[in-house]
Amino acid sequence: MLPVTGATAASDSGMSCGSSFGRGGGLAGTGYGRRMTAEYPALALRGLVKSFDGKVAVTGVDLDVPAGSFYGLLGPNGAGKTTTLSMAVGLLRPTAGGAWVLGHDVWVDPVTAKQLLGAMPDGVRLFDRLSGAELLAYHGLLRGMDPAVVDRRAAELLDVLALADAGRTLVVDYSAGMRKKIGLACALLHGPRLLVLDEPFEAVDPVSAALIRDILQRYVAGGGTVVFSSHVMEVVQRLCSHVAILAGGTIKRVGTLEQVRGDRSLEEVFVEVVGGRTATGEELAWLSR
Amino acid sequence: MAVPVTLPAGPVRPVSARHFVRLKLRVMGNNFHGQGWRVALFLVGSLVGLWFAVGAFFGLAAPGLVGDDRYALLVAAFAGGLTVLGWLLLPLVFFGVDETLDPARFALLPLSRRTLVTGLFAAALVSVPAVAVLLALSGLVVTAAVFGGWSAAFVTVVGVVCGLLLCVAAARAVTSAFATMLRSRRVRDLAAVLLAVLAALLGPLQLAGLAALEDTDWDRLVGVATVIGWTPFGAPWTAGIDVAQGRPWAAPVKLLITVVTIVALLAWWSRSLESAMVGAVGAVGGGPARARPGVTGGSVAQLFPRAVGWLHRDRFGALVAREARYWWRDVRRRANLITIAVVGLFVPVMVNFGGQGFTLDSDQSFSPAGESSPVLVSLSMLFVGLLAAVTLANQFGFDGSAYAANVVSGVPGRLELRARATAFSLYVLPLLAMVAVVIALVLGEPTWVGFMAGALVATYGAGLAVNSFVSVLGAYALPETSNPFAMNSGAGLVKGLLTILAMIVTGVLAVPMVLAAGLLGDTWVWLGLPLGVAYGVGALLLGTYLAGDVLDRRQPELLAMVTPRR
Repeated sequence: MLPVTGATAASDSGMSCGSSFGRGGGLAGTGYGRRMTAEYPALALRGLVKSFDGKVAVTGVDLDVPAGSFYGLLGPNGAGKTTTLSMAVGLLRPTAGGAWVLGHDVWVDPVTAKQLLGAMPDGVRLFDRLSGAELLAYHGLLRGMDPAVVDRRAAELLDVLALADAGRTLVVDYSAGMRKKIGLACALLHGPRLLVLDEPFEAVDPVSAALIRDILQRYVAGGGTVVFSSHVMEVVQRLCSHVAILAGGTIKRVGTLEQVRGDRSLEEVFVEVVGGRTATGEELAWLSR
Repeated sequence: MAVPVTLPAGPVRPVSARHFVRLKLRVMGNNFHGQGWRVALFLVGSLVGLWFAVGAFFGLAAPGLVGDDRYALLVAAFAGGLTVLGWLLLPLVFFGVDETLDPARFALLPLSRRTLVTGLFAAALVSVPAVAVLLALSGLVVTAAVFGGWSAAFVTVVGVVCGLLLCVAAARAVTSAFATMLRSRRVRDLAAVLLAVLAALLGPLQLAGLAALEDTDWDRLVGVATVIGWTPFGAPWTAGIDVAQGRPWAAPVKLLITVVTIVALLAWWSRSLESAMVGAVGAVGGGPARARPGVTGGSVAQLFPRAVGWLHRDRFGALVAREARYWWRDVRRRANLITIAVVGLFVPVMVNFGGQGFTLDSDQSFSPAGESSPVLVSLSMLFVGLLAAVTLANQFGFDGSAYAANVVSGVPGRLELRARATAFSLYVLPLLAMVAVVIALVLGEPTWVGFMAGALVATYGAGLAVNSFVSVLGAYALPETSNPFAMNSGAGLVKGLLTILAMIVTGVLAVPMVLAAGLLGDTWVWLGLPLGVAYGVGALLLGTYLAGDVLDRRQPELLAMVTPRR
């Protein structure tokens, strides 16, 4: 079991177990997560370290994601966001440390942890020689769901995400935005208690982004927890209740949005923490001629 | 704002083949970086190549060393011709071509097609097989020097170098053209026919060769060699021998034939290269978007092809259904299925009709008519069975990073491996049955069909068991290009060695079937099928049981192995 269950977790997670989400289908409350989990954070990372061939990508990440929170993981390119989230969902074995989903160790009791969890990894292909409907059916059955429930939810998800028109088009022929949406649908299908999304808003057009935002907000309002990585400040500022800034493989700032931001804009804080630089106008003079 | 026609500012330094070669060496070096086992595998592969090359060198130098002028032309024409044929066919059937430098990566650079083709060609020459062939065929120089002195040796050097260029150009042109054809779905049937014809060429050639050997009529063989010497297959290798044997006028003509062929092949390659570059933009690994027939039934019903409608709608069913769809929809996998079908039919025909190819292994069939025997037939079935099974040696590599979906869902290892074997067998078992029936009919021994099918299934089952382990422990990432024959250079050697290892182990496991065919005689005709099926199924269950445990422990590691590095 999880060694440290912070007080923050208990206090922040007022709402927990499943009220239903969406129209009629009930995507959130499926029975998987119907247990009292409020005393545990939805996701807890302890001392996560990952090194590749001696190169350290993540150097000790500790994070508590309170149940019911909308958690943004911010960081520049190469900060270790994807590595951290991959270790959190069981795709990448950590060099040291552990991850707990609602109190279940991802690396010791993966079956339970993975049932409570929905993930959309970034930079990972889907089984894209299937159509959208086929892909959803595959994911649903792989999660051990009842075929009738899979059919009903898949139809609903395709409808809500405006993918029903694609018909039997293979996912490989989808646009980037459509691929993000079908990936999200696959992660949502089994009604997980925790959603871990890697760059859900990257390469997505504004219309699809608004739709994804809306769905995620309803999911959190229904008692779910969302962790997502991004480097789009505007989205994070609008959506998140909590924020962590990751840079150089460690957490630099963590807390509620207000705690991290203070009275400044999130972007200012971010650039300051990450240590960015601005062009002075001296360099790159050859660009104008 | 409109601007007048703008020219690039300043002079541009020309790009030469040297840059491509250096780029390839750099990419190869970076692949090895920090990967001790890759370096080790590369060294082992190089040593094996060197070993064979040195052996072949002395084989080809033998006529000169022995001083027997008669065999010089014979050796040059046949060894050279087989080398060219091998470069033409082996990449298609087994090993694929090295796409360390993927042509699509150069699409945006301002390079002329000529620069690109010569550059990629030069880069392709930098490989272990090319060096090995150069070394081996240099044996001809010794032979030519003994009989014809310096002039003949010099012509042979030129010929061997041209011959190597011919080999590499042929391999590139054929695989590139073939990849383009397979990508366009409309001509995939044509592609299958082309492959069939190519493989069929092997048969008559071997038959002719064996018939000639049987007569041991050297004059006739020399006649055949002379004819081969005037085709692109033999021209580069025999030019020097001609000089040595007093036909100096033939040498320039033969070299001209070679050069014209090389130029034609390069032109062909350059055409298909262009379409490969353009086609790669937009749909990585995919065909053109197409409208598919309207939706019928729920999503679960859509996932399951009609042929597997009998499966339960559960995890196993979903895995099998998805794999079954993939074997058809993924070009890379479909290319493998076509190969099994073609080779599976032609190899047994060749072995059993040109029977003497295996005389050492069979003690009974020494009759000159080329009559077959149960042992010989079982041996050829064994080959087909292990060829089919070895297709799964990198089954997770086909999925690439998409395998993450199964890891996130926590699919148990045994279930995963058994479902994959089941889905593949949906295609392969009918194919194997067809092979058994066709071969039995062609041999005129319809009663043999039972034990032939038994040997096939036994070998196939044992092969699946062996390859379950190989696929979990020795997986590697396939590049995400649309070329079904492409692979990374490091992986090429790994694949070759692992494939051979898996085939040897499978062959050993299947030996009981051959022994039984030899020892049990007539009883085997009836016992062969049930025992063979039991053996195969038992091996598969045991293999997946054990390999499944391994897979359970290393799912994330396997995912990392099959994810292409970017």
